[in-house]
Amino acid sequence: MSLSNRRSTEGPGGAAPPRREDPAPAIKALGLSAGYGGREVLQDVSLTLNAGEILCLIGHNGAGKSTLLRVLFGLHRPSAGSMKVFGEVPAQHTPAALGAAGVALVPEGRGVFPDLTVEEIFGLALWSAGVPKSGQRERVEEVLEVLPRIKEFRTRRAGTLSGGQQQMVSIGRALLTRPRALLLDEPSIGLAPKLFQDLIRPIAALRDTRGMAILLVEQNVREAFAVSDRVLVMRSGKFIFDGAPSDLDDHARLMELF
Amino acid sequence: MLFLQLLLQGVQTGALYALTAAGFALIFGATRIFHFAHGTSFTLAGYVFLFAWNGGLPWWAGSLAGILVAVLFGLAMERLVYRPIQRHEGSFFTVFVAAFGVAVVVQNLVGMVAGRGFASVDTPLSRADEVLPDVFLAPIFWIAVGVAVALFAALSTFLTRTHAGVALRALAQNPDLLRAYGLSSNRLSMLAFALGSAMAAPAAVLTAMTSGLNEAVGHHVMLISMAATIVGGVGSLRGAALAGLMLGVAESVALQFVDTQWAEGVSFLVLFAFIIFRPSGIFGVAQAR
Repeated sequence: MSLSNRRSTEGPGGAAPPRREDPAPAIKALGLSAGYGGREVLQDVSLTLNAGEILCLIGHNGAGKSTLLRVLFGLHRPSAGSMKVFGEVPAQHTPAALGAAGVALVPEGRGVFPDLTVEEIFGLALWSAGVPKSGQRERVEEVLEVLPRIKEFRTRRAGTLSGGQQQMVSIGRALLTRPRALLLDEPSIGLAPKLFQDLIRPIAALRDTRGMAILLVEQNVREAFAVSDRVLVMRSGKFIFDGAPSDLDDHARLMELF
Repeated sequence: MLFLQLLLQGVQTGALYALTAAGFALIFGATRIFHFAHGTSFTLAGYVFLFAWNGGLPWWAGSLAGILVAVLFGLAMERLVYRPIQRHEGSFFTVFVAAFGVAVVVQNLVGMVAGRGFASVDTPLSRADEVLPDVFLAPIFWIAVGVAVALFAALSTFLTRTHAGVALRALAQNPDLLRAYGLSSNRLSMLAFALGSAMAAPAAVLTAMTSGLNEAVGHHVMLISMAATIVGGVGSLRGAALAGLMLGVAESVALQFVDTQWAEGVSFLVLFAFIIFRPSGIFGVAQAR
């Protein structure tokens, strides 16, 4: 089901050669529960994100979408449940271990440090990923092929960039780690629909060229559905719908769920 | 000529204040922890140097031992005091009281072990020669200024040219986001404490060679560091260093007009003036909240 609804996307393919699709799911989570201070936000959630799939996760504010992403990237420890990344249980449930396993997160909001230049932010990402100096230029070139506009403001402080440019840098930073599974938390916030389309299409193209798995949390349903293979709807910490975007073409059905 | 003499003395004192203030500002800026026991790192480094010197060790070995002890104390505070408090979401006030308590305990321990009252090291470098009529200058003046400039330049280079330095600047801006980058804010916090505490040690060694130490010197150094951080602009290392220098000069030059016991008060007059007329400090950015 998950790959049957694939839609073509345009955009640069990136320098990395197409990756064969991993047989194991990119992320397989079973029975995840998590919360804050005794309040349970995720309730026994199971999820499969397949390699080469764009999975769109929608839901009300407070439904638990961001918490799920934080748990999947090791920023928040689940109170119950387990997860595998490409068939392996991560050595630790930490961002460093999950990053090493091939997962990257683009957090909600502008995931940049305002007083650092774009080059410093990229340097930080390469350093944290343990990329040797000899391979760093190649990584940056790969990202610039996907998001070429970054070249225009590489030396500027992130705080002086527009919202769209900052989001581009945030996604570019995540791509520098060559993730096989990319978690995007509401990248459209504060962006005009056209700007979001321009941003998401080259990222969505990485599904086809690199077999990247993408979990896209979005409120901008129309634009997100246009690039997604599958949709999950979340309410009060549980999934209440799992299906193809076309199943939700009926506006009334969507409103009923969302 | 008295003014020139006091000015030069102030520059020497101010250079040492600049080092300790930059260390405090680095720790506070990166971690937002009000490390009130920063002055204790200074005290411990100074007394370790004194003991090493009196025990016949060369100056460099005593200095290295002082730096090591200052760093270890800073790291111990971060791991054993501040981190547990933060883990339990303790308030700013909890952190302050805990640090103040440790500082008082260490001050009394130093007094018990080393004796109360001033102690100093007499070296040829501390002996002043008349360089102008009624103006005396010791070689230690140039060493203090040189060490302060060199260490501040090294710290600035570290923060702008190395990944770990850039990560420390990032930690100051958004520690949560740093975790999303896959970096450990705990490790970076320890790095900030190690570097900040190390900055205090050379100042302590040079103070032992000049005006001398007593067990309460850490409190004075801490108050000056805090004042310099506010006057320089919270978050600005160069601001803290410049303000440290300025406060040292102000304290010294004030001696022309007031008795010695009032000199420390001059630093706080400068602090109050900044709080009233320029609360964001020399290099700080005014904040709406």
